[in-house]
Amino acid sequence: MSTDLRRARLETGAVLEMERLDGGLIELTARLPHLAAETRPGEFAQLRCSTGFSPLLRRPFSVAWTEGDTCAFVFEVVGAGTALLAQLAPGDDLDVLGPLGSGYTLEVPPGRVLCISGGLGCAPFPILAAALRRRGVEDIIVLNGAATASRLYPAARFQRGDDGIRVIEATDDGTRGHRGFVTQLVAETLTSGTAAVFACGPNSMLVSLARLLMATAEAPAIGEASLEAPMGCGFGTCLGCALPVLASGRDRAWALCCSDGPVMAMRDVDWNGIEALPEPSVA
Amino acid sequence: MQTANPLRVDLGRGLVLDNPVGLASGTAGYGFELRQLTDLDAAGALYTKGTTRRSRSGNAPPRVAETTGGMLNSIGLQNPGVDWVVDHYAPEFARWRVPVIVNVAGSSVEDYVLCAQRLDGVAGVAGIELNISCPNIAHGLDFGRDADSAARVVSAVRAATQLSLMVKLSPNVTDVAAIARAVGDAGADSISAVNTYVGMKIHRTSRRPVLPGGTGGLSGPAIRPLALAAVAGIRATVDIPVVGVGGIVDVESALEFFAAGADAVQVGTINFVDPDAAVRIAEGIRDDVARRGLRHLTDLRRRGRRQPA
Repeated sequence: MSTDLRRARLETGAVLEMERLDGGLIELTARLPHLAAETRPGEFAQLRCSTGFSPLLRRPFSVAWTEGDTCAFVFEVVGAGTALLAQLAPGDDLDVLGPLGSGYTLEVPPGRVLCISGGLGCAPFPILAAALRRRGVEDIIVLNGAATASRLYPAARFQRGDDGIRVIEATDDGTRGHRGFVTQLVAETLTSGTAAVFACGPNSMLVSLARLLMATAEAPAIGEASLEAPMGCGFGTCLGCALPVLASGRDRAWALCCSDGPVMAMRDVDWNGIEALPEPSVA
Repeated sequence: MQTANPLRVDLGRGLVLDNPVGLASGTAGYGFELRQLTDLDAAGALYTKGTTRRSRSGNAPPRVAETTGGMLNSIGLQNPGVDWVVDHYAPEFARWRVPVIVNVAGSSVEDYVLCAQRLDGVAGVAGIELNISCPNIAHGLDFGRDADSAARVVSAVRAATQLSLMVKLSPNVTDVAAIARAVGDAGADSISAVNTYVGMKIHRTSRRPVLPGGTGGLSGPAIRPLALAAVAGIRATVDIPVVGVGGIVDVESALEFFAAGADAVQVGTINFVDPDAAVRIAEGIRDDVARRGLRHLTDLRRRGRRQPA
């Protein structure tokens, strides 16, 4: 009947660090004990960017990693909301609502797990890789792609000290790693023993990946992608973040990115419909 | 006469609210999500998502776009249909303390009448808010656009239900007060004003409208001065209760609507940002009324209602 929000709550905590990485990426850490304790890999939080009413709406961000009562988010300045977030300093309050949405499946059969990241799609993978390792997954490969070397989220941040997590990089311009799209690395890393593929990135990347997996004879049983949509509330009430999904017997079907997703089984998504969506508008 | 509860609002035909702050239609769904995030029973009323005779899957995405001080939406009345609401949701509503007022939308007089008949006498349904003004579906605006068609649908629904009948007016008209008078004469127990304003956002790079239908409904603080003017104009024209809605974000902005002549208010877009907003505003109004030593919140108005001739 409705979204399960029993773990979600409003929480205000102090910003601990604003770490400016190369290429405009910012890693924001804040003391948010509730979110840190409750969030699962792939879930997100709605961050309030302003203490006033402009910009009005919260902005959704995946939780990148947690440690103790600390949560990290990775973002770049794309509009008014992220510009304000970028001005936060250690000690400032951060007002969040979360955790929200559905995360990645953590119960995976034995075998390799591929995490495929494009650009800021890196965000959910540090927490996901760590959770999978705690569950005994031995073979995790992060395929990390970005436009250029400076915009690659650093490999060490996916690993967080765990050498068991391998990172293979690709850049559109060839400034580091494979020259080309990260999806071109899938063919050589997707073995018959691959148990799961987890993806997060721009729609164009996800569409390519979905088609590649559909054309693969022995695609893994688990294929999940974290999607994006302009959101109003983030908790299933405004119905603003509809995404096209496949359904039988109906001409159109929508799922809500915020509550049915953001992580969805790739086989359920209408990728032709996703491909037809316009580029997101920035407030 | 002394009123025990200074925040009590009588919206007519048995619909009495413990406090004047409701959650506006389309910003609270059917209450199931927000109940998990806030003490919804402490709100004055819950106005449901626009509900139609048959289920609707809604519009193609993108459906929302943020603008300066507000947002545009083009949801397209996605809802499970009135039968589902009556069979599956109303039994839940009946267990809640907050009165649930079902917002009804349609594209023909018959649609509205059938929905009203279906809701009549259903436990858990405290009243009907007639949405004659959704800007996001074909023909959805038509009934709210002129006084005659608005009166026609209100008369027909009035005859179909004993429930308290609130009519939500579109501001996208030349003279909203004239339509308010017509729906009052046609039997509305109260009026809510206003629905969203038709607006457009242009994509920064494509230079095309962000919303696929071109336009959407603008809500949020950006519309508050417009909504206040509409409420004041309606207040000067009708004697039935007026529920003000449009860009309320805090106690102060809610009090502006009482000053403009509203009897109650609805809190909308801010629910997306702060799930506690409606409850916090209701508490703030209670404190304000007590601090000023007022008998009743209607004393917050700077001017009285127009005296009947």
